[in-house]
Amino acid sequence: MRHPVRLAPALLLVAGVVTGCENPTPPGLTYSLNANIVENEESDLYNEDLAGDRTAQAQLAGALEMLFGSPTGPGYLLPEEWIDDEYNPSWGDAELTDDQWSELVEDNARALKWQLEGIAQGNFEAVVPPREAFDLQEAWYDYVADWQELRSEVELGEAEQSELDALASEITEEGTAMFEEWYPSLRESAEMYRQQCWHCHGADGGGNGSTADFLSPRPRDYRRGIFKFTALDNKARPRRDDLYRILEEGIYGSAMPSFKRFSKAQLNGLVDYVRLLAIRGETEILLSTEYDSEIGGFPIDVVMQTYLDVWAKWDVAWDEFISYDGEVPRIDEESIAHGRELFMDAKTANCFSCHGEDGRGGGVSAFEARALNDEIQAELDVIDAALVDAKKHAGGIAKDEKHKQQRHLALAKVERLEKRRFDLVNERVKDDWGNEIEPRDLTRGTFRFGRRPIDLFRRVYAGINGTPMPSHSSLKGPDGERLLTDEDLWDIVHYVRSLAVRELEHAPERGDEGAHGI
Amino acid sequence: MRLIATLLFLLVPILGVWTFWIAPEHGWWFPKSVSSYGADIDRLFYIILWMVGITFVATEVILAWCIFRYGRKDPSKAAFTHGNHTLEMVWTAVPAVLLLFIAFSQMKVWADVKFGDSFPKDGRFTIDEPIGEVWASQFDWRVRYPDEDGNLEGADVIEKAFEFTVPLGEPVVFNLRSRDVLHSFFVPNFRLKQDAVPGMVIPVWFQADEPGEYDLICAELCGWGHYKMAGRVRVLPADEYDAWLAAEREALYANGTEELEEDE
Repeated sequence: MRHPVRLAPALLLVAGVVTGCENPTPPGLTYSLNANIVENEESDLYNEDLAGDRTAQAQLAGALEMLFGSPTGPGYLLPEEWIDDEYNPSWGDAELTDDQWSELVEDNARALKWQLEGIAQGNFEAVVPPREAFDLQEAWYDYVADWQELRSEVELGEAEQSELDALASEITEEGTAMFEEWYPSLRESAEMYRQQCWHCHGADGGGNGSTADFLSPRPRDYRRGIFKFTALDNKARPRRDDLYRILEEGIYGSAMPSFKRFSKAQLNGLVDYVRLLAIRGETEILLSTEYDSEIGGFPIDVVMQTYLDVWAKWDVAWDEFISYDGEVPRIDEESIAHGRELFMDAKTANCFSCHGEDGRGGGVSAFEARALNDEIQAELDVIDAALVDAKKHAGGIAKDEKHKQQRHLALAKVERLEKRRFDLVNERVKDDWGNEIEPRDLTRGTFRFGRRPIDLFRRVYAGINGTPMPSHSSLKGPDGERLLTDEDLWDIVHYVRSLAVRELEHAPERGDEGAHGI
Repeated sequence: MRLIATLLFLLVPILGVWTFWIAPEHGWWFPKSVSSYGADIDRLFYIILWMVGITFVATEVILAWCIFRYGRKDPSKAAFTHGNHTLEMVWTAVPAVLLLFIAFSQMKVWADVKFGDSFPKDGRFTIDEPIGEVWASQFDWRVRYPDEDGNLEGADVIEKAFEFTVPLGEPVVFNLRSRDVLHSFFVPNFRLKQDAVPGMVIPVWFQADEPGEYDLICAELCGWGHYKMAGRVRVLPADEYDAWLAAEREALYANGTEELEEDE
């Protein structure tokens, strides 16, 4: 103790540990405006007026906050007619069917087993709600506060003891219900989203989280309201079940994993929050197109109308649901052969033009420039002529310094032109989000939306939202009849399934490569 | 000061033993072992834990004693010794014997769990007719069950994401495969951990003796989403398992109308 200075490093260490342990401010606690609208000049959503007008941007952000709240307090604004109808989309649990609800309660009994056991044993202090369940935590701790206070008193009279017992049995009953019937609020789900989804999908669902740049395919940007994989026709907005299914099954072949390890309540809550982000993003985009720089700002009636317009799109989902009346046909040689015919037929299904004759995805239409676009052809002609010219100058032996320099420049030009030519010829088809995409290699058997026949049927029937994969049920013949009947579509499905199976048959045998008993 | 230093060093073995002592009642110990060979593997672990524990405590106590005994200020010159042949023989031979003991005592368990020749042969799942395949990929578990003819390459294969359903009380053999990089199939309750190696088909077996749901995690750092590879193994009584598989086979040919009924 004679040299207090010697203690300094130890004190510093303790101070460092203490400050280091403090929770940093959680990220993703604010929404920001869609960069495609106000920053990214190359985007189809770019709005020049809005980009140059800070005041209008602030107004847009304000309008969105009014409608959808913030990441720490999300919730829908209720128009009067909804209040009259007692409709509130912020309560996701109201949209569950009775079956789904009883499944959810049963699942909570499994997922919250420790908490429920603690309640059953009367060990209330050991009961800790899930970490993202803010509202449940608040309610629970409030609920047991009286009991805790009474119990902590040093001496209990007989009357007090019986009061305590009564309180405990009441808590056991009501507390069990509280946990078994837990359904996360949007606020709780937003926290769950920050823990599980935010790092890829971003705070406002823009598919621009910190890990997004390392992924191919890129995470979905919800803000256009377009979701690729639904069981719906006519590019309808997804049902809750469509989103739930993706959370449960994941998307095989992408970085989207399955979240089966979470409870049904938690996943349903995530669906609610993802839907909020999608509706919010869509409203934002629609509002930005409504922006009129002469009037300036966003009048409240325009905002409300836009909000209701977007909601109207989300309300039709079940009407567009695709199911097949009748038994799913089984695969046989005949249907495979017919499916193959249709696959290769440019006048009907025309699958081969993108997916290639071998189904590996290398069809000519997969490349934009090859689609014989006149404009691109004209540019190619110019480049080819310039290349011939430049190559002429680039060859031969340099006679003097000046000639050498000229040749050097010509070589650089050749390189530049060839690169441009390569890019033009190989320019790939892009999806609605501006990402280069490739037609699926059907021989691999990796089907993102699922590999059941009905899943493939839905893809052929309705296409894939946001991509060039078209709907084949809406193709019409000259007399207005459907060009491809449901039976034709099943044959195509069968052919596609046979492609994947055939590939698997070529997979190496276990004996060839497997090492037993290592 | 000498006493304080001694006590400080003695705290290390005391706290060390104490943490192990109280760990089980706080749920910091192993999850319950529910596989047929789980107890054998735990036994091996405890043998090593006792060996290491005793050595650790003994070393720490000797260290503390040395601090106490020789810690006082002594102005005289240190004595010089030139080794002790007996002592050196002892501290070489004892660890050697211990290591050989560990090496030999684990051989049978290792062979039973990992060697293809010792895989169970009587059950309905064997090394030649496994229950299915488990594919690991970044960052995904896919379990594939063969179609009704036992064909794993047919069109009617059942594929489940992140969930491996198996029957209770009988040996389950499956093939572990990887699509991209190294992964590791780890079910702590089964005391089973096996790396998945791209290009290799690795047969694995276990027998679960208690129904329930158990965590399945990836135990080989496989990329940024390693922690997301959290699935589960569901152990069902044999008849429930058969019913489940039959229902899955039927669900493969669902036509979508069942979802409509659900909504109404």
